[in-house]
Amino acid sequence: MPDVWDDDDRLLAELGESLRAREAVPPEFIYAAEAAFAWHNIDAELAQLTYDSSLDPDNAVAMRAEAASIRALTFTSTHLTIELEVTQDALLGQITPAQTATAEIQVRIGAAETVPIDEIGCLVIRPIPPSPFRLYCHTADGIDVLTGWITL
Amino acid sequence: MRDDPAVTALVVRASDGDQAAWNELIDRFAPLVWSICTRYRLSREDINDVGQTVWLRLVEQLGHLRQPAALPGWLATTTQRECLRVLRTARRQDSFGFRSENEMSSGQNPATIEQEILTAERNAALRAAFAELPARCKQLLSMLISDPPCSYAEISGALRIPIGSIGPQRARCLDRLRNCPALVDLDGGQMSSMMTKRTAASGAQAKDAEGNLHA
Repeated sequence: MPDVWDDDDRLLAELGESLRAREAVPPEFIYAAEAAFAWHNIDAELAQLTYDSSLDPDNAVAMRAEAASIRALTFTSTHLTIELEVTQDALLGQITPAQTATAEIQVRIGAAETVPIDEIGCLVIRPIPPSPFRLYCHTADGIDVLTGWITL
Repeated sequence: MRDDPAVTALVVRASDGDQAAWNELIDRFAPLVWSICTRYRLSREDINDVGQTVWLRLVEQLGHLRQPAALPGWLATTTQRECLRVLRTARRQDSFGFRSENEMSSGQNPATIEQEILTAERNAALRAAFAELPARCKQLLSMLISDPPCSYAEISGALRIPIGSIGPQRARCLDRLRNCPALVDLDGGQMSSMMTKRTAASGAQAKDAEGNLHA
């Protein structure tokens, strides 16, 4: 325990601060956080974000100079790489190795939509889904890969 | 505090699918995520989006946490990154660029974020200890810390205790608070003496925070 808490006044003041910090958090923020637990234990291979153009300093400079805000993301898992590109009105993607599959677009609130992935591994999602969303790819060979949550 | 056994136990239970343990983690650390978001002066809607992304990422990481004690640091780093992303997106969409560079970086000071993590850990331990106190102590201490403060006469009336015994009871309740396991476990001496060193190293630490969870 911090030594400063040997002092009654100090301990009481910090207790007050700790309780007020908790009270400052609106209940709906807490409810939403508790509800996020529903996503626990989804049975699929998780693809990690391995490239994000918005975190790439060289690219950020280039992007500011252009009118269209384009973002590129790459998710990598053991069996599949998913590359995504954000255009003005659509989300384009390609999976490698190329193969037929489906991509389910999971959103925080509302039903998931599914789009096909063609034999060269390409997919088009239009319009761009509301953030955050994640993609659940299911290939014809039975590989299940889930991306992390994406916020555009 | 980095090895708070309570937090470690909660993470283990939550990764086994225990919703109650998850809720308790939220109860402890939502104030940390919330306070970082408010420091970036995001709108309520943006704060909710950042919060959602942070918690969903945490759900995903639960089963992989090797160092649950690094959780507050990971939460702070992830929240900060999401806040910056929201600000960047807003700035890209706003051709007049009303958000200044200063505003963008307002929360980025590593010393500030490290202080915020420490405060959040201490606050969580204080609340956990407070929750263990007998009802009488909770009532008395709540009245003593209320804002605006209650007078001794008000406390005496509400709790039906003589004014003269409020002081001694206050001291006894605070002693009980100090002896609660949640606070005894909090390694204060080491924490204070290490503050300077840790603050200096926190830049690198924040950068590694995500990796540390899996270390």
